[in-house]
Amino acid sequence: MTKKVESAWTTGDLLASLECRQKFFVLDVRNRDEFERFRLEGREPLPAVNVPYFEMLELGGQDEMVDSVVACVEQHLSGQLPKDQLILSVCAKGDTSEYVAQGLDRLGYASANLKGGMKAWGEHYATRAVVEAPDLSIYQVSRPARGCLSYVVASDAKALVIDPLRHLDPYLELARSKGFRIEMVIDTHGHADHISGGVALASASHASYHLHPYDAIHPMDVLPATIPYHAIHDSQVFPVGRVELEALHIPGHTLGLVALRVDDRYLFTGDSICIGSIARPDLGGKAESWAPLHGRSLRKLLGLPGSMTVLPGHFSSLAEENDASLFAATLDDLKRRNHGLQILEQETEEGFIRYLLENLPPFLPEYVDIKRVNAGLLAPSEDEASALELGKNVCALSQASKNCKGETA
Amino acid sequence: MNQSFDKLLDARGLNCPMPLVNARKEVGKLEPGQVLKIIATDRGSVADFQGWAKIAKNVELIGQETESVDGANVYTHYVKRTG
Repeated sequence: MTKKVESAWTTGDLLASLECRQKFFVLDVRNRDEFERFRLEGREPLPAVNVPYFEMLELGGQDEMVDSVVACVEQHLSGQLPKDQLILSVCAKGDTSEYVAQGLDRLGYASANLKGGMKAWGEHYATRAVVEAPDLSIYQVSRPARGCLSYVVASDAKALVIDPLRHLDPYLELARSKGFRIEMVIDTHGHADHISGGVALASASHASYHLHPYDAIHPMDVLPATIPYHAIHDSQVFPVGRVELEALHIPGHTLGLVALRVDDRYLFTGDSICIGSIARPDLGGKAESWAPLHGRSLRKLLGLPGSMTVLPGHFSSLAEENDASLFAATLDDLKRRNHGLQILEQETEEGFIRYLLENLPPFLPEYVDIKRVNAGLLAPSEDEASALELGKNVCALSQASKNCKGETA
Repeated sequence: MNQSFDKLLDARGLNCPMPLVNARKEVGKLEPGQVLKIIATDRGSVADFQGWAKIAKNVELIGQETESVDGANVYTHYVKRTG
C-alpha cells in the first residue's frame, strides 16, 4: 500500500505538479461531454479515467456517495486505478470529488481532491516575472488551463497592461503589491477565445483603453463595437515611465492585430507568433482573404532583430514553458523551433497560404459570441461567461500545435 | 409546467452531488408510476439528472424546468419511478 499524502490539492499545487511532471492519475467524475471538452493536461497527456459520479452511484448501488464510490471502485474500477501513484479526484466544482477522494482513501489509495474542481482550475492565474529592474519590469500573467497569456509592463511605478484576461484581481493585486499605477490597457486584438478584461480593468484603474479600430468591428456581424476605446495606429508609441512600447500593425489573425515592441529587447506578438505555433487566420470567417495578410505580417516580424525576446499571447501545451517557467523565447530560437515559421521561411507566398488553409483546426461556435462580448455587443452572466470560456484556446494552426507537442524546452 | 407529482424534495442550497443522491434515495421509496419533484439551485443538476436518468434502472426523467426567483435560478426536475 502506498503512503498517504495530503488529501487536498489547490489549483496552485496542481500547476506545480504538472510543471515538475510529478506522476499522478486522474479520476474525473464529471459528465462525459464535459470531460471531452476540457480535461487536465500537463506537459504530456495525463493518464485519466472518466466515470460520471451518477454512474458511480448506480454501479456502487449504495445510498450514500462515499459507500457507492467504495463499492463501485472495488467491483468495477480497481483494475484501472494504479496503486503506486496518487489519484487526483476531479469534478466540476470540487464538492463531489471530495466524496470520491474519501472513498479512494478508505480503500487505501493515495488520494487527493482538486479543491474548487475544474472551474477553479480554469480560473487559476499564475504571475511570473520576465524581468524585474528599476527601469523596466515585465510580468507574464497566465491562465494555465486555458493557455492564455497577458502582460504587465512597468517602469517608474507606472504600468501598462497587455491583453488582460477576464478576472481582474491578478492585475490589481500585482499593481498593489509592487506599487504600480496602471495607466494604460491595450488589447492586441479583438479576442475570439477568451473574454477580455481590458475595458473593465481600465475602468477599475482609471486607465485608458486602447484597441486597433479594425478590431472594433465584429467581423461576422459587421457591427461597430459599443465599448469605449482609443484607436491604436501603426507605429504609435506608448510611453511607460522610462520605456516606450511601439505598436506594429500586423493584420492576419484579425484585421486589427498589433504587436508591441520595447526597443530591440522585447516583442509582444499577440497571437501572431507563439512558441510552438502561429495564429490561425480564419477566426473572422474570412480565412482566404486574411491568410495572405497573415503571411506578410509574419515576414515583417521575422525582419526584426533575432535577439528580441518574443512574449506570446497563447501557448498550446505546458511543454512550451522554458526553464524559468516562462513562455518566452528569442526570435532566432523560434525560427529554428516553430513549425509555422519554418514553413514560412521555406515556402513561397502561395505555398504558405496553402499551408495555412490546409491546417485550420475546427471552428468553435462560441468564438463568434466571445468576439461579440469583447465588442460590447453581448453581455453574458458570470455562468454564461464561464461556459463560453470553457476549455483550452484553439487560436493556433493545428499542424503547428501538433508539431510542438513532444518537443521539450 | 403543470406536472403532477407525489412527493416533493427540496434540495435548494445543496451542492453537487447531494440533490441527486437525495433524489435517488427518495425515488427508491416511491411506488412504480409515482413521481418525485426535486427543486434545486445547483446548475449542474440539469445535466446530471439527464445523465443519471439515462443509465439508472426504473427511472424516467419526465420533465425539467428553470425559473428565475429573485434573480437566482431554481431548477426543477420531475423523476418517475417506472418499475
